[in-house]
Amino acid sequence: MAKTPLQFRHNGRDVAIFVDGGTNLLVALRELIGDMTPKFGCGQGGCGTCSVLIDGELHLSCLTLAETVAGRSVETLDGLKEGPNLHPLQRAFADNFAAQCGYCTPGMLMAAKALLDRNPQPSRAEVVEAISGNICRCTGYEPIINAVLAAASGGRARA
Amino acid sequence: MPVTVKTFTSTHDAAAALSSDRSARYLGGGTLVMRALNEGDISISTVVRASDHAMTRIDATGSRITLGAGVTFARILVERDLAFLHAPARSIGGPAVRNMGTVGGNLFAPVPYGDFTVAMLALDATVSVQGGLGGREIALDEFLQSRDRQTGVLVLAISFAKPGSAEAFRYRKIARIKPKGGAVITLAAHLPVNGSRIVGARVALGSMAPTPIRARAAERALEGRSLDASTISAAAAAAVEGTSPGDNALASAWYRREIVGVHLKRLLSGQE
Amino acid sequence: MTRHRGRGIASVNYPIGMNLGGDPSQALVHSNPSGKFTVALSSIDLGQGMKSVTRQICAETLGVPVEDVYVDTADSDTGPHCMGSFASRGTHRVGNAVMAAAREARGVMMEAAAEELEVNAADLETDGRGNIHVKGAPHRSISTKDVAIAAQFKQGKTISGRGIFLVPLSDVDPETGEMSPATCYAHACLVAEVEVDDETGEVDMVRMDSAYELGRALNPRLVEQQLVGGAWMGVSHALYETPEPYYPEPVHGPRDFVEYLMPGPGDICPHDIAVLERPAPDGPFGAKGPGEMCANPVLPAVANAIFNAVGVRIDDLPITPEKVLRAIKAQGGARPQPRR
Repeated sequence: MAKTPLQFRHNGRDVAIFVDGGTNLLVALRELIGDMTPKFGCGQGGCGTCSVLIDGELHLSCLTLAETVAGRSVETLDGLKEGPNLHPLQRAFADNFAAQCGYCTPGMLMAAKALLDRNPQPSRAEVVEAISGNICRCTGYEPIINAVLAAASGGRARA
Repeated sequence: MPVTVKTFTSTHDAAAALSSDRSARYLGGGTLVMRALNEGDISISTVVRASDHAMTRIDATGSRITLGAGVTFARILVERDLAFLHAPARSIGGPAVRNMGTVGGNLFAPVPYGDFTVAMLALDATVSVQGGLGGREIALDEFLQSRDRQTGVLVLAISFAKPGSAEAFRYRKIARIKPKGGAVITLAAHLPVNGSRIVGARVALGSMAPTPIRARAAERALEGRSLDASTISAAAAAAVEGTSPGDNALASAWYRREIVGVHLKRLLSGQE
Repeated sequence: MTRHRGRGIASVNYPIGMNLGGDPSQALVHSNPSGKFTVALSSIDLGQGMKSVTRQICAETLGVPVEDVYVDTADSDTGPHCMGSFASRGTHRVGNAVMAAAREARGVMMEAAAEELEVNAADLETDGRGNIHVKGAPHRSISTKDVAIAAQFKQGKTISGRGIFLVPLSDVDPETGEMSPATCYAHACLVAEVEVDDETGEVDMVRMDSAYELGRALNPRLVEQQLVGGAWMGVSHALYETPEPYYPEPVHGPRDFVEYLMPGPGDICPHDIAVLERPAPDGPFGAKGPGEMCANPVLPAVANAIFNAVGVRIDDLPITPEKVLRAIKAQGGARPQPRR
C-alpha cells in the first residue's frame, strides 16, 4: 500500500515523513521522527501519557490519525526546554518531587502547559481538571498538582 | 495493519464511500475509530473523512439548535449560548478527549461511554444522516434502537429545541472516579413547565441498557404534575421500570437498578 | 441523613526485606581517573529513589561530594547480583552493600593518598568537598582527583571496593518453630476518616493522619514522596482496584484505564504525615525502608472507618459501593457506631 507524504511543524521545525494509512501520530513521532518524549501507554485514550499540543490544543497522539496534522504545529515535551534551560513547569516538577517512575510525566507536563498557556493563574480545581485525563501510578497526584500551582505562581510557592 | 484513508470535501461523497464499503468507518475525533485500529480491529480496512465545514458548524442563535456532527465537546464548552450543555460536555473525558471527541461520534460510543447522547435524548434530539441514497432526519430514540445498523450512514448533525429555561434541563453523571471517570449511570431530564405543571417531561438514562434509553415510566409520573416531593418520589420509584442494565467493571446490573431511583430523586430535587 | 462519617485506625509492623537465602545484595564501587566514583548495582530504581539514596550513602561513606558519585543500576549482565526491588528492601539491603563497598574503596583511597602525602593513612581524613588532608593540618592536602590519578598512573592501584549484605541465618527452634524472619522492622499507624452514603454505598475519603517509623530518613523529601504516593495506592486497593471485579468469576474485567478503577486527582484527601526516626542498628546510617508499608495500613483503616460510619464490616477488597450497599441493606439500614 502506498505511503502518504506528510509535512508538519514539530517543535518549531518543519518535518516531512511518509506514513502508512492509519498510522497514528504517536507512532509517527516516535518511530519516524525519533521524538521519544511522548510515551505509549494504552493506545485507547485512557492514560494520557502520549499527550501533545496540536496548534496549542491538548490532544492524544495515539488517537490522532497522523495525516490530520498536515500543515499544523505539533508540540511535544521535547520542545518544552529552551536550550539547556528547563521550562518552569519542568523545574517545578523537579522541585516538588512530582515524578517517580516518570512514565506519566511527559503527558502531565503537556496537559499542564495547555492549562497555563490559557490560564496562567489556575485554581487547584482547575489544575485537577486539567490533569484529569492523565493517569499517575506513583505520586497520588498531590505533588503534581502542587508543582503546577508552583509553576503558575512563578515558582515562588513551595508545595 | 495499514488501512486506506479517503478524505472527501463533500459529505455526499463521504456518505457514498461509507455506504458502498462494509469495511469503511467514518473517522471523526478518533477516540473510537483510532482506538479500534490501535487494538487491531481487522474489520476496518477503509477510513473515511469529510472536510466539509458544515460538519463542524454550531447554530445556537435561534430556538432550535443544530450541532454539526464534528463539533467537539471543547467547542461546546466555550459557547455561551450552550451553557445548559456545559455539564454534559464537561463530564466527558479529560481535556484532550474533549478537544477530540465529537457530538456525532458520541452517538456511537458504547457503555460506559456516550454520556452526551443521554443529554441529547432528554432534549428529544433529531439526527440528520446522509445515506447512500440521500439524506433524512431520524429521531434520536429511533436512531439509537437501530444503532448497530447505522455504521453505513454518515451522521451530519444533531438538532433539538433549546430548553425554555436553564433549570428545565438537568444532567448528572455518576462516576466512581473524579473529576473524570466512566459512567456508573448517567441521567438527564428535561422538564418544561407550563404554569406550575410539567408538560413534555423527558428523562433519559445511560448505562441502564445497551444504548441510552428514555425512562418512560418516570416521565409519566412527572407529566402534568408539579415538581413536588410526592411527584419526585413517584418518578424515582418508576425510574428502573423498562431498563435492562448490564454488569461491567464499573458496577453490576443489580447496583445500577438499586441506585437509579436514588440519583433521579437527587437530580430532580436538586440535592448533591 | 444519608451520609455518615466514620473513623478507623490501623497499625503495622513491617519487616524489611525477606529471609529467603539470606536476601543478599551486592555492590561494587570504583574510582575513575577523574576522581569520580561509580557504583555498579543490578538493583532497579522503579522511581522510588534508590539511585539517589545509594548515591548519598556512597558519597557519605567515601567522604566525597555527592556530585562525584554516579550510580549505574539495573543491568544484571554487568552489575553484581541483587535479589531485586521488593519487600521494602532497597535502602536497607542495597544501601548496606554500597556502604561496605564504599568503605573498602575508601581504605584504598586513603592508602593511596597516604603514599602521596608521605604520612600514615590513619592520620588522614576527608573534608567531604573532594580533598584528603592530614588531621589537624588542612594545608597538607591532596584532592581525590589527584589521588585517583596517582593510583592509576603511578602506584598501579585500583581504588575500588566490594560489598555484600547478607542476613544472618536464623535457625528454627525445633520445639516451637520459632525463628526470626527479619532483622529489622518498620512501623506505622494510620487513621482514616471516610464519609459513607447509605443510599448508594459510595465511600469518600475525608482525610488521613499517619505516623511512620522508618529508621533514619536518609532523604526526607523522597520519604515523603513515597508516603504520599503509597497512601494513595492504599486507598486505591481499599476502594477501587481489581482486575477481576466479579472474582472468582473471571468476567467483565476492565478493558481500559476507564474501567480499571484508580482514584483520580479529584478523589485525593488531605493526608497529614509524621515521620518518626528510630535508627535501625543494622541499617545503613540507621535507615529501614518506607516502601510497601506506606500503602498497607490504609486498607484496614478504611475498612474500620466504614464500619464506624455505617456498621458494616466488609472484608473483601476492594470495598466497592455495591458491597457496602448490599451489607447496609442486609442489616436493615446504616448503624453508625460510636464516634471515635
